[in-house]
Amino acid sequence: MTLFRLHQLLVQPKFGSAGRQVIANNFVWEVLPVRNRASFLVPAALMAVVIGCEQPQARFELTERTKDLMSPARTAVADAVEENFGTPNDLVAWLRSPTRYGDNTGHVAGGDGTVSADSFPAEFDEPVASDLSGAALRFTSGKYQGQQVPVGQFDADAGQLVLGAVLDPPVEQDTQFQVVGDVLQHGRMLYMTHCMHCHGVSGDGEGPTAQYLDPRPREYRLGIYKFTSTKQTDKASTDDLQRTVKQGIPGTYMPSFMLLKDDELAAVVEYVRFLSIRGEFEKKLVDELYGDYSTAAVNDRLESGESEDEIESQLTAYIQDDLPSTVDFASSDLASSWTNADTEAAVVVPEKSRVPDTLESRKRGRALYVSDRTKCVTCHGPKGRGNGSATNDYWKVPGSNETYDSRGLHDLWGNKLSPRDLTRGIYRGGRRPIDLYRRVYAGIKGTPMPAFGGTVLKDDEIWDLVNYVMSIPFESEQPSPGNEQLAVTVSDQPR
Amino acid sequence: MAKSWCIFFIFWPTLALAVCWMAPAWGWWFPGDAASTLGARIDDLFYLILIIVSVVFVGTHVGLAYVLWRGSSFNEPKALFTHGSHNLEVIWTIVPSGILLFIALYQMDVWADYRVQSAFPPEAVRAPVAEVTARQFEWRIRYPAPGKTLQLTPQPDDLYTVNDLHIPVGRPVMIQLRSDDVQHSFFVPMLRVKQDAVPGLVIPIWFDSVRSDTYELLCAELCGWGHYKMKARVVAQSDANFKSYLAELHREQFDDGVPSAATESSEAAETASKSE
Ligand code: HEC
Ligand code: HEC
Ligand SMILES: [Cu+2]
Repeated sequence: MTLFRLHQLLVQPKFGSAGRQVIANNFVWEVLPVRNRASFLVPAALMAVVIGCEQPQARFELTERTKDLMSPARTAVADAVEENFGTPNDLVAWLRSPTRYGDNTGHVAGGDGTVSADSFPAEFDEPVASDLSGAALRFTSGKYQGQQVPVGQFDADAGQLVLGAVLDPPVEQDTQFQVVGDVLQHGRMLYMTHCMHCHGVSGDGEGPTAQYLDPRPREYRLGIYKFTSTKQTDKASTDDLQRTVKQGIPGTYMPSFMLLKDDELAAVVEYVRFLSIRGEFEKKLVDELYGDYSTAAVNDRLESGESEDEIESQLTAYIQDDLPSTVDFASSDLASSWTNADTEAAVVVPEKSRVPDTLESRKRGRALYVSDRTKCVTCHGPKGRGNGSATNDYWKVPGSNETYDSRGLHDLWGNKLSPRDLTRGIYRGGRRPIDLYRRVYAGIKGTPMPAFGGTVLKDDEIWDLVNYVMSIPFESEQPSPGNEQLAVTVSDQPR
Repeated sequence: MAKSWCIFFIFWPTLALAVCWMAPAWGWWFPGDAASTLGARIDDLFYLILIIVSVVFVGTHVGLAYVLWRGSSFNEPKALFTHGSHNLEVIWTIVPSGILLFIALYQMDVWADYRVQSAFPPEAVRAPVAEVTARQFEWRIRYPAPGKTLQLTPQPDDLYTVNDLHIPVGRPVMIQLRSDDVQHSFFVPMLRVKQDAVPGLVIPIWFDSVRSDTYELLCAELCGWGHYKMKARVVAQSDANFKSYLAELHREQFDDGVPSAATESSEAAETASKSE
């Protein structure tokens, strides 16, 4: 952490513009007189000697599609994304984005603490939950009003706040300030420690460990999550992501992070949401440009007689006139969809409670399972082994007319995917009846597993299916479909 | 010159002793007193051996130091040449063997109580609390439903958690240890239990916790790149709390998501299953 901050102090200064705050540590040498710049440089140099020079800089990578744009378009997208989201070491709090960056307000307290050039006793209006180091402090009154400094650290017991910069003259008592970004900063630290090696710095699912894993770690940048409690068209809620991270995903390499404390869990999930929103924002901008300015499109246009200058001037005009409104549109769209996912309205709640898990119910479930209404059997197979006939078909790539190169199902990320083997009793999205209900009701997002709720199946029918699915692992070895031998044990609920 | 070599060689064992002596004060020791009855007995064995070894260590080194010191002054009479002493050899063979034999016999009780299944506390064997399955890279835990006993194969009403093993405090409990993939090792340092989990085997282990506390559970067998991630917790809690923990787990796991009707439905299921 210390090393990280020292690096920070050496980076080129930049100020966040309206509506944004640069969280990590960009402060401006000119505005804030820094008398002991050398005192940072000397230990930094020493540390470099001891630790062996520069750490590799973490970077947010652009997606392949962005890289495929002609270069002014690529730069425009890259700039817009960086302006609003920053880089891993200089996160930006874009207040229009629905991320909980962490926002604490307080004032410089009187009392026993001493005000010095780089520290002062601070009193927060609400207790601060997490570590404040690296967050951005912006004064909202007094002579430094409107200016921003990085927080070095905050000692909650002593109530003393140490700045990552020197203020000469020192701040006055009762100066109001706001500390933004502590949660995201904390989340980033945890993410880099625990998740990055699988999910990648940018959330592209391409961390160094990823190549050894099947299924592959989730790429966050599409903003799509599989195991959610929300309706088919809704995003994952924060609770869903927290649950996944806490419980892990059984049957995959996604581990359980049960031992993270509540504030750590919240912080790391917030960072995952941040990466998702960042990725989706990039995607939305690229979507606007891809049709006209991808390498292939530009080649086509050149062939059909347009000149390079024409294309470029069109692009320049687009970037000047239309890109700002695309940014606006993308951000408000993201804000509403991600905010909506955290509302009650988005959650799938059965209208009726679970149908008693009886033999009859399971039989009805089995009948539905093999019926044409659901076609569960075409994917999951007659015995639930995940080997239905659909696994031998060539499937269409969603949103295009082409088919995949290999037989079988694929998810939106292009990975091959088997329908779940239901005989194993391992449910990635959780094993509660409500989890399975939601899987059937809303489908598994980003996969061919369809949503049946609301339209195809009624509540009772979904529960029958759930009862049947939950009984599959306990079926005796040779069940003939649809007969009495459906299950050996009918769940006897304990007293 | 000879004397300074002498001091050099005497210095190291002295330093070793001093460091060992200070180690507990610096926290370089056990992670606290054993929190299980068997653990306390294992610690006692450890200390017994430590004492024996220390006496031998100090004794030999005092002897060596004496010889070095005497030999380094040149005004000694000329050394004698000897072909050895049969009696001496007998003594230094028999005395250590005696000590080893004593240790071997003395620890047998503890070993048997710890590892021999017929010596396991019967109340622990009767109702194993859980099955713990090590898997790259986590601990998956399966409890029997409240009021039932653990079966070797999964049951429809089993309760599942991950990286979070709860046990009742103050009485011996047994778990069934398995592995899903490679070899792991179930290690709870505070309880002084360590047992390899071997693919294909179901290995029972028992332990107890003398106080209500939360302990670290680690994997002590390098099992792959994510070995360091295999950290979980063991929560020892009072019988009542343990029961209500399981009840809560059960409520949660059979949750059908309909607000406040969760209990109704499980009752409905209960009547249904009875009526069959
Ligand atoms: C060992 C590799 C690994 C590590 C470490 C890891 N994950 Fe994952 N994660 C995965 C894999 C693999 C999947 C995809 C599972 C699937 O598709 O069923 C996944 C999926 C996810 C998902 C998507 C769940 C969904 O509903 O789609 C989230 C969110 C997630 N991980 C968050 C995290 C966070 C946060 C961390 C760090 C605290 C983390 N992961 C650490 C491997 C990992
Ligand atoms: C088009 C193929 C398809 C159909 C039809 C289909 N599924 Fe699936 N199902 C899948 C795939 C693929 C997965 C695995 C998704 C993943 O993990 O990424 C899956 C997963 C599941 C799971 C596992 C959920 C979990 O948490 O692990 C259940 C349960 C399930 N399906 C039940 C059903 C039922 C019941 C039906 C019929 C009502 C059905 N499926 C119809 C393809 C299908
Ligand atoms: Cu292990």
